[in-house]
Amino acid sequence: MISHETAAKVLSAALRTGGDFAEIYVEDSSLLSLGLDESKLEQATRGVDGGAGVRVLFGNLATYAYTDNLDETSLLAAAHAAAAAGSSANGGAPRTIDLTTKTSPLDYPVAKPFDTLPLTDKAALLHRVDATARAVDARVRQVSARYEETHRRVWIYNSDGAAVEDDRSFVEFRAQVVAADGNVTQFANEGFGGRLGLELFDANDPLALARTVAEAAVRMLDARPAPAGEMMVVVCNGWGGVLFHEACGHAMEADFIAQGGSAYAGKVGQRVANPLITYVDDGTLPGRRGSLRFDDDGTPAQRTVLVEAGIQRDYMYDLVEARRAGRASTGNGRRESFRHLPMPRMTNTFILAGPHDPDEIVQSVKHGLYVKSMAGGQAELAKGDFVFNVTEAYLIEHGKLTAPIRGATLMGNGPAVLSEIDMVGNDLALDPGMGTCGKGQSAKVSVGQPTVRIPRITVGGTA
Amino acid sequence: MTEYLALARSIVARATASQAGLEVEALIMSGSETEILVQSGAVEKLSQSGSRGLGVRAILRDADGGRVGYAYTSNLSDTSVDETWRMAAALAQIATPDPYRSLPDPQSSAADDLEIFDPAFAALPIEQKIDFLKRVEAAALAADPRILTTQNCSYQDGVTHVDLANSRGFAGSYSRTFAASYLYAVAKGDDGGMTSGIGIGVSNYFADLDADTIGREAANNALDILSGELMPTGRGTVVFAPFVAAEILTYLAFALSAQSMQRGRSFLAGKVGQEIGSDKVTLLDNGRMPRGLASAPFDGEGVPTGATKLVDEGILQRVIYDTYTARRASSDATPVGSTGNAGRSSYRSLPSLSPSNFYLQPGDQTPDEIIAAVAHGLYVTNIMQTGGINPVTGDCSMGANGVLIENGKLTRPISGVTVATTLDDLLKHISAVGTDLRFVPLAGSIGSPTIRVDNVMIGGA
Repeated sequence: MISHETAAKVLSAALRTGGDFAEIYVEDSSLLSLGLDESKLEQATRGVDGGAGVRVLFGNLATYAYTDNLDETSLLAAAHAAAAAGSSANGGAPRTIDLTTKTSPLDYPVAKPFDTLPLTDKAALLHRVDATARAVDARVRQVSARYEETHRRVWIYNSDGAAVEDDRSFVEFRAQVVAADGNVTQFANEGFGGRLGLELFDANDPLALARTVAEAAVRMLDARPAPAGEMMVVVCNGWGGVLFHEACGHAMEADFIAQGGSAYAGKVGQRVANPLITYVDDGTLPGRRGSLRFDDDGTPAQRTVLVEAGIQRDYMYDLVEARRAGRASTGNGRRESFRHLPMPRMTNTFILAGPHDPDEIVQSVKHGLYVKSMAGGQAELAKGDFVFNVTEAYLIEHGKLTAPIRGATLMGNGPAVLSEIDMVGNDLALDPGMGTCGKGQSAKVSVGQPTVRIPRITVGGTA
Repeated sequence: MTEYLALARSIVARATASQAGLEVEALIMSGSETEILVQSGAVEKLSQSGSRGLGVRAILRDADGGRVGYAYTSNLSDTSVDETWRMAAALAQIATPDPYRSLPDPQSSAADDLEIFDPAFAALPIEQKIDFLKRVEAAALAADPRILTTQNCSYQDGVTHVDLANSRGFAGSYSRTFAASYLYAVAKGDDGGMTSGIGIGVSNYFADLDADTIGREAANNALDILSGELMPTGRGTVVFAPFVAAEILTYLAFALSAQSMQRGRSFLAGKVGQEIGSDKVTLLDNGRMPRGLASAPFDGEGVPTGATKLVDEGILQRVIYDTYTARRASSDATPVGSTGNAGRSSYRSLPSLSPSNFYLQPGDQTPDEIIAAVAHGLYVTNIMQTGGINPVTGDCSMGANGVLIENGKLTRPISGVTVATTLDDLLKHISAVGTDLRFVPLAGSIGSPTIRVDNVMIGGA
């Protein structure tokens, strides 16, 4: 962090060419990452990364310069560089900035800080996971496991006089198992994580995870090739929400809305989804990976209802897009590091629970696909087409799950799917906490949904 | 010697002297970068700065083998630098020993000019870059009245200096430049439906970028698939445009790495010497290609880069190696050397085995000739997939948009279909390869011409 006195001086310098808003973003991050493969702990990394970025806004223009040195000379140099990159007709009358620390009722306390467990114990945990997964079945060929903790502190000072701080601790744990039998090779990959400390492991047992992943990889050895063509699909609760994150969430981010190329632009007050659908972005949930005290613009995190009972209510705004639209930010301004300008991003985004029993949803399907787990997806935002790779799926025949299926891709259209979903379960769950979203910059996010039934979607298999 | 190379050597000397049996490597990456975003003819984002960082790899060697620790910092103060190499050495203690873990010995490298540093870069004013980007956007908007807007119309460039030293006596430096611009053009059809298409240009040399070409490519990619519809489900011939084929080849490159082979994570494991593709398939990796986006005089651990023929007319000849996988594959009778493929994307990461400029050797047919020879099929100009193409299982399934081919002619836009095969089948059914090799900045730099693949499952209505 830097003193309020230094911050005020740097902000004044940043405004000298007539910018209408200036901000300093200071970051201090540290990471520990341990990786095991082939029963060997072969990657042990620690790192520190820190610096500050100065942003100046001139109407819709944002200029930016950053430095990895926090002394006053370097900060002033960054301020001068950002100021010099823009100019304004109203000149640069000297401004005095009085900074006041803003507090937030939101807090994400860490019950068990990272240093309460010795490094050797963290390494030992990875070895135990390896042994546990290998003991499940002789067809387990490779096990890899990874532990990662990140501590990211940010301080933001701006020319509106606000000084805020957010102290973010993240931990994640994941395991991947490769199983092989004859010429067939399959794998499974799962984990858990969140914005918290080592108490994560109180609620999540890494050895149970090891068994689950190994069993899934072995089970997929018997999978048959996926069918091709349109069919009814049931997507199970939790991580399935990534489908809507990609296909609908991004298209509701205010930068895409402002550029005019989003399928959801201009739709506030209009029906965009089945009335069973309420879609929410909530950056205030305890322990969740996308949760924030303040976003990277210094705006308090909040809950935003994007779609309420099928009607578009709002979009996700950062400071710049809120200024452009003449309204308040929704606390969705995020950036990868002090080297990046913020942009509108999701936090924890999910579909709320509906009326249906998840068993009833499966029983209602005569012939279809049950998607238990999928890898990430990709979407095109103008038309809203999306694609997802399914990593664990089963055929549904006469209301019952039958054969496991391999190699399926789901291809559909986000707006169409949101309208056509005709059953929504009462089993809302968020993902286990390993999601990272890429939009030019990476951001930790969470997704979620109840079990849903999609009447018609293209399944891309080879059979 | 640069100031940072002297610092890297001094870190190596201090760390090595601190403890017996310690091998040390220090990497400093420094440079500057510019990023610009234009929307509707106005600059909306302009970021210009420099940054630097240090990464230290320590390998603690004893009778059981080598144990690796890694630490990095963006703070190059004396205190922080000392903490970093000490941390790397401390972390090595918890690693599992492995007989093949050690640093490479220095090898002499040819002094050919790889053309990865554009000397004109330093004198390029910001106004010229902004003007360039405005012309990219204007070209997309002017291409057709149906182009509604652009998204993420951006320009990025940078200068990177690499300084690497290790305790076996290697010390080397090089500098590279890159300039890139990309955008999405959004098209709106008469029916109100919208599509978007990407245009991209990237080179080590600013003068290689052409604003009109990038803008028009985005517009054409959006227009090609506007008002696209499904086609019937069934097996057929697919022609992949170079940009799309290169994305598929990225996964093949990972299947052809010694790491994936040795760990049973490649569908090609155990197939060296066998026929894995049609005779049209010749795959190369060349870390010394002039103006290659992934070209460098030495790789991420100081080994000279080189050219490797991986697949020759369908026969798998060899795979790519770094120092670790080469030592592991070696025996006294048949020593194996690193192919110089230890990638290093940042000072924050350990070297990792990856392709450099990896490409499918061009054939002798133009893309038009390839399409003209197809009676009925799909010309794919755009794919979407995340994990659907898998080098471990060999699965290959993706979402696709493109144009229907009927009697050798492109007829109507197709969108929302899936295209599925296996990587194994794909290689065996490549029946034509175009002349139009194009590189895409994926996982290093991956290049492909237009390719024709038969017997692919198309999932539609």
